[in-house]
Formats: sequence, structure tokens, C-alpha cells
Amino acid sequence: MASAPSNRASTSSSSLSSLRQRPWVRWAAPLLLVVVLAVLPLVMSEFVNETLARIGVFAVAVLGLNVVMGYAGQVSLGQIFFLGVGAYVTAYGVTNEWNIVLVFVLACLVPAVAGLVVALAAARLGGLAIAMVTIALPIVGVPLAKRLSEYTGGSQGLSARFAEAPEGSGLFDDQWQLYIVLVIGGTVFLLTRFLVRGKYGRAFAIVKGNENVASSMGISPYRYKVLAFTIASLIGGVSGFLYMVVIQYTSPETMSFGHSIELLAAMVIGGAASIVGSLLGGAFYVLVPQLTNQVDASLTTLLQGVILLVVLFVLPGGLASLPRALTRGRRRSGAERGAAASTTSPSSTLGSGTSAEEPETERQGHA
Amino acid sequence: MGKFVQLVVDGLSTGSVYAALALAIVLVHQATGLINFAQGGMAVLSAYVVWSLTEQGVPLIVAILLAIVFSIVLGAVVERWLMRRFERGDPDTAVVVTIGLLTLITGFAGWLWTYNNQQFPSLFSLDTVSFLGVSVSQRSIGTTVVIVVAMVLLQLLFVGTKLGLALRAVAINPQSAAFSGLPVGRLLMVGWGLAAALGAVAAVLVAPQLTLTPGMLDNALVYALAAVILGGLTSPIGVVLAAWMIGILENLAAVYVPFIGFDLKVAVPFILIFVVLLVRPQGLFGRKNVVRV
Repeated sequence: MASAPSNRASTSSSSLSSLRQRPWVRWAAPLLLVVVLAVLPLVMSEFVNETLARIGVFAVAVLGLNVVMGYAGQVSLGQIFFLGVGAYVTAYGVTNEWNIVLVFVLACLVPAVAGLVVALAAARLGGLAIAMVTIALPIVGVPLAKRLSEYTGGSQGLSARFAEAPEGSGLFDDQWQLYIVLVIGGTVFLLTRFLVRGKYGRAFAIVKGNENVASSMGISPYRYKVLAFTIASLIGGVSGFLYMVVIQYTSPETMSFGHSIELLAAMVIGGAASIVGSLLGGAFYVLVPQLTNQVDASLTTLLQGVILLVVLFVLPGGLASLPRALTRGRRRSGAERGAAASTTSPSSTLGSGTSAEEPETERQGHA
Repeated sequence: MGKFVQLVVDGLSTGSVYAALALAIVLVHQATGLINFAQGGMAVLSAYVVWSLTEQGVPLIVAILLAIVFSIVLGAVVERWLMRRFERGDPDTAVVVTIGLLTLITGFAGWLWTYNNQQFPSLFSLDTVSFLGVSVSQRSIGTTVVIVVAMVLLQLLFVGTKLGLALRAVAINPQSAAFSGLPVGRLLMVGWGLAAALGAVAAVLVAPQLTLTPGMLDNALVYALAAVILGGLTSPIGVVLAAWMIGILENLAAVYVPFIGFDLKVAVPFILIFVVLLVRPQGLFGRKNVVRV
């Protein structure tokens, strides 16, 4: 009796997955997405295009954070620092009229090397120490950017305009910028998807799950933590380049501690260890301040804290896990109805939220 | 020479503030195995309580005592209603929860009391006293003395009382403590409350110098975490010594190393960490963690 509703749910999901496995769907769906993304900038208003481009920038930054935190399980509070380094390298290169391809490569490499150096030391400490070390990056980064004023323009910052639409393309600047974000950001998302689905992604997952198991399987947790952190810094550098494409101005404030925490909140709210979650996180990062500023700008931080805590309580997987949580909830309520009909079926096997009700005496030992 | 001693004494006083915060973090970590990134934020909230009470005309010392009571309650409430749900789960999630709490407290303080700097009344006068031909500020000496007294009291509580014994039992092995009939949940609340109180003392002492803002202790938190890493999470004495060392070294480096100066002295503990990590990955005083697979 009780299995009937869940059967129905599984058949509906299996028909969906078989639809997904059909060859023409597998090719048509991404193609459709590409066409939509290619047309979108042409028909939308300037404001929408600019907002979408900003979302793209921060989605890439959140994606980088997701690699190290969501997939490899190492809390990093310094992701914004690498965005800032990438932005400064871009601005410096552009003002000195270097080749734009060289600027892009440097905007990726310099943060990656910085990340590698930090990770080599920080990953030596187990567990939460990476979080405790990386919190220093934005806090040291801001005065450092002010100090190196020859290169960074000090507190005034640097502005660089290099992403005007080329003559003869017939595009407006905002459309051209959105195209750059879509192409570079899309490539990064695609590459990261391959990375986390492949050999490295599985190694990250084991390191996240249990370091001792990982090392007993011949996967060095240290090496993979350093790798994940370096890749995250590199992606942060890419987002810094895109930041300069869209916003065209950077100052020490870009990499402030507050922004770093907002980025982390955006990642958790969007969904850890999820590609779609990174996109949602980017949208959250950009849209929530835009909305709250219209109500009361001083409420922004408070609301972000509230939303983050509520999401952690209600939906630990972030917004990306919402569809799955909904189907599970529906299936569970269906099972409970079934259980009411036939007393033999144990519905408790489906309930995953019982741990909170366990007696207080059953604590796990930490020491 | 006079300047050197002055710098060392001032460094000792800021180091004491870091030490109090770091000790609070270690206290919470020993009891629950997580790092509370909101420790500084909670302390700032207590400082705001003192500030608004003194604005109402309450004498400073009464306001401080009231704020310490407030912070004990705050710590206990946070443990019971927020952290307990995440204590047994993934430590990374618990850390994100404390970061959410930090955001929430910062946002709340900014919303209620604005992000503007507020002048905070000082417990000690700014005058200097001459001692063996060296003049040192009363505030530095007072801050150091108060925090050392607070630490000694805490140590006496842990070593000399039944409550302290129970708290230590919970920290060492919560499961066995529960089996021997200790109210583990309530003791954890007490532990969090004591940690919050220690943080509140630090915040009240440092607020006149930094002027009160919602993000006042963000930097101090970074120093405290550096002290925790250097001292090792398992060694309260090591953490305090590391915090003093950081306080003194950063003060000296700010004056005697031209490139660092006052704006970049926050980098000093991390240069120190880099060096220590390469030599002693378990921290200066910590023990190496051995895990059975």
C-alpha cells in the first residue's frame, strides 16, 4: 500500500530522466539555451543587461568558492581577495595598454599563484584552520591595496574602460559586455562542470567526506586541498577580469571583509556543491542588495544574516536543492497517507529530520 | 629605550584583548568542537549594551556588570536555540552558521545604532604614569590587569569548583559525561555564556580606543584566530602567550619596520603563522592530533 505513491513518483521521475536521455533532447536543450542566451542581450533593456552581466560576474566568483568549499569541503573566507587581485591586475594592464589577451592570462595566473602560496601553508593545518587563515586575506588585502598606491591608485582605486563595443558591430556597450560575460563565464562554468564530474571532483568529494579514508585510498588530502584552493583562486581571478569588464572600476573596498562574507552567504544560499546553485548565488548577491536598498539600505546586512540562517535551518542544500526537497516532501506526505491506511509500513525510514528530536544525552564525542 | 618599553606595554594591552577573545574561542571549541566566528560580534553587541545604558545615565561600572550578565544570557541562548542543532553535524556547516550569526549581529547593530563611530567612555584615564623613568599609559596597564584577573578567575572556576569540573568533563568527553549523569546541554550553555562574558570584557576595554562600530572587533577576531592557530587549539596557556606575542610584535613592527607601518601591521601575525607552519604544523604549544581510522 505505502509503496504505491512512491512508485508513482519514481515512475514520473524515471520518465523525466528517460526524456533527458534521448539523444535529440540531449543536444537540443543546450542548443536552445545557447540560442536564448545569444538573443537575450539584443532584446532586453540596458538595465536588465547590466544586472544580468553583474550576476554573471558574481556567479563566476561564487562558482570558484563552490569548488573549494562546496566540492572540496574547505571553508574559505578569502574568495573576494582573488576577485580583487584579478580586477587590479586587469586595471593595471589596461591602463598600461598591454595586449588584452595577455591581461586576461595574467588576471587568471596572478591570483592562482597567490592562492597556491596561501594554500600551501594553510592546508597544512587540518579542519577549520583554512577558514581561520583565509579570513585574513580581505583584512590584509584592503590596507595592502591602499599601500601599493603606485600600482593600485590607493584609496581612489583604478578605473579602466576597455570593453566598448567594437565599431561596426552595431551593438551597444551593455550588450557587448554581457556577451563577454556570457562567453567567458559560460566557458568557466562548463570547464568547472567537467572538473567536478570527473576524477578530480570525485577526489574532492572523498577529501570532503573523510580525509582519513581519502589518504588510505592513496588520495593525498593535502594535495587535493591545495589544488581545489588554487583552482578557486584562478576562477576568482577570472571573475575579477569580468568585474572590470562590467563595472570598470575597482578600489580597496572591492575586497572588503563584508563582501567576502556576502559571497560566502550567497554560495550557501544558492546551494553548495551545485553548478546551478552558483548561478543562483550570483543572482542573490546582486539582487538582494538592489531590492533592500529600495526599502532601507541599513537593513541589507541584517536581512542577509536572517536569510542565511533561515536557509541553513530549513534548506541546508540551498535554493538549488529546493526541487528535490519538494519532491521528497511530497513523497513523504504520500507515504504517510499510505502509512495511515496500512499500519504495517514503517514511515520512519523516510524521515530524515528525526535527529533533532533525539535526547540530549546522545551527543557525539568531539574530544 | 623609553619608547621601546612603552610599545611593549601597549602591545601587551592590545595582546590581552586578543587573548581574551582567543580564549573565548578556545573555550567554545573545547566544549563543542567548532570555531565561533561570531565571538567578536557577540562581544560588540555587549559593548553596545554598555554604551546605550551609559547614554541613559547609568554609571559605567554598573552598565558593564549588566552587560556581562546580558552576554552570559546571550551566549547561552545562542548555544541552545541556534548552535545545538548543528553541533553534531558537519563542522563546516556549523562554521557557516556562526558566520551567519556574525552577519546577523553586525546587521542588527548597524540597523539599530547606525554604522557611525560612537565615542565610548573609558574605564581608565588616559594619563601616563612614570615608572623607573619610563612613562606608560594607565589604560594599557589597566586593560592588561583586568583581563589577566578575568583569566585567573576563569582558571580558578575551572580548577577549583564543582561546576568547573563538570565543564571540563563535558569538554573532554561529552558522551561519558552524559553517562555519568551530567546535564551536558545545560553545561554547554554555561560554557558559551562564560566565553561570551570574556569577550564582553575585552570589547568594553578596547572600545574607547577603537571607538564603537558594528565591525569594531573584525580585526581583533582575525588576531585572535591567529593566536589560536599559533598557540594550538588545545592549549589555553599557549593561546594567551601567542596573543601577547602577537600584540607586542605587531606594535614593534609597526614602528621599526618602515614598510609595515600602522596600516599593514595586521599582516604580522600571518607572516608569523607562515613561518611557524613550515616548522611546527601543530602550533607552538599544541599537540599533534592522532586519529585512528
